[in-house]
Amino acid sequence: MKKSLYETDEAVIEGIRRSDERALAHLYKLYFPMISHFILSNSGTDDEAKDIYQEGVIVFYEKIKDNNLELTCQIKTYLYSVCRRLWLKRLAEKGRYATRLDETDSFVPVEEDTLHHEEQEKQFGVMGDALEQLGEPCRSLIEDYYIRMQNMQDITDKFGYTNTDTAKNQKYKCLQRLKKIFFATYKPEV
Amino acid sequence: MLPISLKFDQANTFWEKTTMLEYRAYEEIERYLNGQMAAEERAGFEALLRTDARLAEQVREHRQMLQALKGFGQRRDLRQQLNNIHSQMEAEQQPAAPNGWTVYWNRHKQTVAVAASVSLLSVFGTLWSVQQMKAPVQQQTARYVELRREVERLKKAQTAIINGINDASKPAPRPAAFSGTGFAISSDGYVVTSSHVVEGADSIMIENKAGLKYKVSEIYRDEIHDLSILKVSEGNFAGFGKLPYTFKNTESELGERVFTLGYPREDIVFGEGSLSSASGFEGDTTAYQISIPLNPGNSGGPLLDDKGNLIGVISGKQAGQEGAAFAIKSAYLLQLINELAITGQVQPLTLPKNNTLSAQNRPQQLKKLQDHVFVVKVYN
Repeated sequence: MKKSLYETDEAVIEGIRRSDERALAHLYKLYFPMISHFILSNSGTDDEAKDIYQEGVIVFYEKIKDNNLELTCQIKTYLYSVCRRLWLKRLAEKGRYATRLDETDSFVPVEEDTLHHEEQEKQFGVMGDALEQLGEPCRSLIEDYYIRMQNMQDITDKFGYTNTDTAKNQKYKCLQRLKKIFFATYKPEV
Repeated sequence: MLPISLKFDQANTFWEKTTMLEYRAYEEIERYLNGQMAAEERAGFEALLRTDARLAEQVREHRQMLQALKGFGQRRDLRQQLNNIHSQMEAEQQPAAPNGWTVYWNRHKQTVAVAASVSLLSVFGTLWSVQQMKAPVQQQTARYVELRREVERLKKAQTAIINGINDASKPAPRPAAFSGTGFAISSDGYVVTSSHVVEGADSIMIENKAGLKYKVSEIYRDEIHDLSILKVSEGNFAGFGKLPYTFKNTESELGERVFTLGYPREDIVFGEGSLSSASGFEGDTTAYQISIPLNPGNSGGPLLDDKGNLIGVISGKQAGQEGAAFAIKSAYLLQLINELAITGQVQPLTLPKNNTLSAQNRPQQLKKLQDHVFVVKVYN
């Protein structure tokens, strides 16, 4: 019943745009076996398959969310191409060059998408580290406000500040520090 | 002109003023980035950006950082979501997931196939070449196979020496199905033979060299020692006469000369040899091993020593082994006779007391013996 809702690629994309979790789950389950098979037959492990596949899904998901996906092929082919690209790169990093890939599907060029994704991954990795270094309560404060988008009043109550102004000042103080840590390591490739 | 200075709080100290100023600037930047500024304010701020390079840089950095923060958060949530989906999926299709073996197989099937064909080839190649090498000594191989079959039979037990009579040798209404040998143990009509001779019998006849026939019936049986006691069941039976031999109840010595009389064919046959072992088949201590050539039909025959003492009852021989025949020790025959008396079915047997054979030579001994050795014919 549920599945029939997302029978077509369009339905899946539409579902993801609506932030329908079931659409994402459906998509995820549908193509995992294919990618898993691909990774496993090209000297990968179960964990690596899961990892690579999730990266691929994230690329696809974020492109839909950013509204800049121009799909010229099936979702299946797109996912395969992205995962294939990512896996080749991973293999190269491991110092193993796949001389002959055991291809299980056709693929399209996705170099640009994966590069963008990797750049973002790097940036977010730095951000994650920076947040780690920031420590509590700054980290929670920043995350609550900027990531979880809670309003200032709730945060004030939660952290026990006398008023929203104190909270705000505290927040900027934390942000200042985070900024320093973040830009100390992150050099954007312009 | 600066919107920031307009909102400046007068109550703060200088140091606080500067930091507060910075924080205010952040707030303005965020308002600008979030598009919360009114059109007029926004225009003013953008104009300021064009002139103030430092501010512009700050805005750029701030934007980048906020984006990174948001993106980081979103991606972390998305990953979490995907992980949830993944574990949900794994829970759903646990058995369907490709297991380690299939993966291993997929990855190595080529290698495995090559290895398998190589090993197959070498196995069959070896078999074939061995076959080729064996061809000139075919005879040897045949004997070897023969021997093996014997070993197989050896496992079962001693080979019972029963002579299957197929041809109608007597003009009797029905020929006997089996025959063996038996001998008298008392003059009043008791005869002993091997249990396996009379196994499954409907009626049993005994006949001696002189042609005297008696109808007998089995009255006692000891399967373990393979002995059966028969009794003449005819009313007008006059007795066998005095028995010339006695029963020895002690063990005989290794190497003693022993002999037997039996009916491996229609006529009585004498066989001689020596006692070659004090134990029987597979170390059976209730029997002797004797080196007398025996044939089917000898089962149940008397085994006597040089002096004419009955020392055993012939029971069988080992298949595939030359000169290895077995006889139940007479002690067990005596035991059986005692048991028979205890059951009370019959009067205690009067066993022969005097040995009249001891001083005589073999032909004379045999002449006296042969009237007391019978062919046991079994009908069923």
